[in-house]
Amino acid sequence: MLRAVERHRHLLDFALASLLRRKGKNAALIGVYTLVVFLLGSTLFFTHGIKREAARLLAEAPEIVVQRTVMGRYEPVPADWTEKVRALRGVSEVQPRLWGYYFDPGLKANYTFLVDRRAEPGKVLLGAALSRARGAYPGDTISFDAFDGTFTSFEVTGVLSEASELLSADLILIAEGDYRRLTGAPAGLVTDLAVRVPNAKEVPAVAEKIAGLFPHARPILRSEILRTYDSLFDWRGGMMLAVLSATLLAFLILAWDKATALSAEERREIGILKAVGWDTGDIMLMKFWEGCSVSLLAFGAGSLLAYWHVFAGNGFVIVAALKGWSTLYPSFRIAPYLGPEQLITLFFLTVVPYTAATIVPAWRAATVDPDQVMR
Amino acid sequence: MILAPNVLALLVASGATALLTALAACHGVGILRHWDLSSGSERQLALERRTYLTSALVGTVLSFELLSLFLFVSSADRIAPLLIGAMCAVGTLQANGYGFATLYLKLALFLLSGLWLVLNHADNLVPDYPLIRPKYLLLLVLAPLSAAEAVLEALFFLRLKPDVITSCCGSLFSSAAGTETDLAALPPRTALIALVAAGAALLLCAFWTARSQRRLAPLLLGAAGTVHFAVALAAIISAVSPYVYELPTHHCPFCLLQREYRYVGYLIYPALLAATVTSVGVGALAVGRAETAAGELPRFRRRLARWTIAAELLFLGIVAACIATSQLTLR
Amino acid sequence: MIETVGITKTYNQGKPNEYRALREVSVTVEAGEFVVIKGPSGSGKTTLLTLVGGMARPTSGRIFVSGREISSLPERFLTEIRRQSFGFVFQSLNLIRGLSALENVMAPAYPSGEPHTRLRRRALELLERFGLAGRAGAKVEWLSGGEAQRVAIARALVNDPAAIIADEPTAHLDGALAAEFLDLLAQLNLQGKTVLVTSHDPRVWTGRAVSRVIELRDGAVVSADGTP
Repeated sequence: MLRAVERHRHLLDFALASLLRRKGKNAALIGVYTLVVFLLGSTLFFTHGIKREAARLLAEAPEIVVQRTVMGRYEPVPADWTEKVRALRGVSEVQPRLWGYYFDPGLKANYTFLVDRRAEPGKVLLGAALSRARGAYPGDTISFDAFDGTFTSFEVTGVLSEASELLSADLILIAEGDYRRLTGAPAGLVTDLAVRVPNAKEVPAVAEKIAGLFPHARPILRSEILRTYDSLFDWRGGMMLAVLSATLLAFLILAWDKATALSAEERREIGILKAVGWDTGDIMLMKFWEGCSVSLLAFGAGSLLAYWHVFAGNGFVIVAALKGWSTLYPSFRIAPYLGPEQLITLFFLTVVPYTAATIVPAWRAATVDPDQVMR
Repeated sequence: MILAPNVLALLVASGATALLTALAACHGVGILRHWDLSSGSERQLALERRTYLTSALVGTVLSFELLSLFLFVSSADRIAPLLIGAMCAVGTLQANGYGFATLYLKLALFLLSGLWLVLNHADNLVPDYPLIRPKYLLLLVLAPLSAAEAVLEALFFLRLKPDVITSCCGSLFSSAAGTETDLAALPPRTALIALVAAGAALLLCAFWTARSQRRLAPLLLGAAGTVHFAVALAAIISAVSPYVYELPTHHCPFCLLQREYRYVGYLIYPALLAATVTSVGVGALAVGRAETAAGELPRFRRRLARWTIAAELLFLGIVAACIATSQLTLR
Repeated sequence: MIETVGITKTYNQGKPNEYRALREVSVTVEAGEFVVIKGPSGSGKTTLLTLVGGMARPTSGRIFVSGREISSLPERFLTEIRRQSFGFVFQSLNLIRGLSALENVMAPAYPSGEPHTRLRRRALELLERFGLAGRAGAKVEWLSGGEAQRVAIARALVNDPAAIIADEPTAHLDGALAAEFLDLLAQLNLQGKTVLVTSHDPRVWTGRAVSRVIELRDGAVVSADGTP
């Protein structure tokens, strides 16, 4: 047992020394390997991080949002629905919500107005990205075009925290009266209803009852939104990986080629080792350790770089491809998170193909005839 | 179709695995057809060199298969929220006919490649390659299985429609019909008694194999290992899972791999797989005619038996700890 | 200690360029002998050494080392016997460039799994014995011809083999170095090592320590009991 461990140690030592002796050739390989791990890892970590972020934000969202459709199109909801929904069994709270979009031709961006009790009449709170884009900070005045063409000004009293910026980047909190004046929304109508159902198992039943109560109602479940986000980001990440797989393929061809094209010097060295008492298995084990060291180094360095890139650098290399459903890019930071699953996935996408591609060349190298050194 | 990163990773891995097994099988065919130990011809020398490649290939396949087994289950778990009604891995795997088939194939491939490596090691202990034929015939079984696994896995993910309503583990393991339900319906106490009995039998046979030279001992150990594997899976579904989850109706064997349950599955399942591969391996060695290996084989057999003991003690220990620390009492 | 029974070695079997390097060679080398195999180039001397040393297998015939047949052994069993039985010194020395003298001496023993400190100590003792203690850490490409040659011998001895096998050891050496090398071989032979050398160099086969000369021509033995 101990002898076997010692044998592995010796062969690992020898493999490391022989890697160091061929610095040029191996540095190029490790460099490309690291780059591939970095690119795939960034995509993976970013996709996963953004999914977690969305799930975290939606965790506080209501279980059901009730909208209304008329002639297949979305319409505001009568505020008197609120009491009827609240009376349903399993519903703990119903909140009528008033909100809408606003297009700013100057910035060519859409804002989201949301009526919120935090905003006093004549005052608004801004999302961080919006505040940056308009250069409007607490104490400043901000103006919007109302529906009737008048120009309305508000005092900015606060900026929303960046922690939840993904969904609130373009948000403006406003008082109800101000909002109805700005948009002409008639009294007695709200945008939708936020319904709280504490018991998750009752959610589908409540949604069904709401649909039965009001034929025009369109209840949307939180789990459905979550599912949509999940599949959206999974899809984007998957597409990105599919595109990157071309890079992976190129790398595998490089690795195969490097492993197959033994220099005369390396062939001679293996021949000598076999002549002085190593067998094919020993050489293969040595090659195995060589591959492990290369993979470990590239995988470690690549994942660390990707981690730094995504969680400290905001994924500046890949962000445009993965995010971007709004003109105002939120400059949020994804909460750093790295689970074993991401690492195993990354491992499967990089180390597993590398191993598969180099195993036959390693065997070929190991079967060099020992008697060639005598010729 | 679901194109999540971990799905891609699994497809890459199963493709690579199928490729490597096919390659090993190709070399295996050459070895089966032209093997002639008495010859000193260049062809025979080349064939003997190929044996090094095939063992390296199968060793790699084994490790890929083990990792992908766990990634497959955890991916199925991750995908569950995308499928209406699926609350964990079971629901995802049930979403179409390929899910469980892929899982069983993965399990079979892991056990068979483990068995192959045991045979291979024994074969390499003596100069006259006593197991060369059974070994490479087994390899010919492995290759189509591995190809089938890659195809089924791809079909599984391709046919997975994110809007299909599937059952969740709650309904699969509590009310509906099928083998899994029968297992869940097994009285927990009976299942635990069976597990203790099978575990004790396995340990006894392993001790006996480690001590004695009789051929019966390893044969019994192999049989005990097979029975124990089946009993252990049944016991995990019917009794161990509810104890871990502290819910008498929750029988899902995959949730054990989740963080909520301290990843306890990552200890339980590898220990069970190790005990199974080593014990069944010992049995297979005794069935195959490897007696020529006078001095070395019994030593290898004893070592395997000791590994069985260690893995089984770990397995039973964790299961016992889970039950002892649980707030739940089942009758 | 070494016995070959009717060994034949054919290269490129069944192809147009088939070539029989050895025909029906039967020779015996007793333990403790100093045997020189002589013959013109192309006579099969080196092929005979590679077969005896277990680096290649004969096409037919058998080879026994210390009473054990090695000609039909698979490589993984042969290697262990080779490590215990033979130390090799090659015509072009074949040291591994980029490694130190010490590492070159240790390399043959790596797969045996001997604890590193013990192996290192043994290798250092060997280097000391050949007056190379001060050069242990030097890369082999910085060694002089004589030093490199002694490192090669130390490497052949690291597994403490029963026999030393050397292929044309003096081919590239001037008079002084050749004499020094033959002296070292003679000393090892005195200490009980069997020595088997191929050469077409008269300086080798007329050496005092040589106990027997085997002559090969065209892959066959011409005489097996020639005296120096």
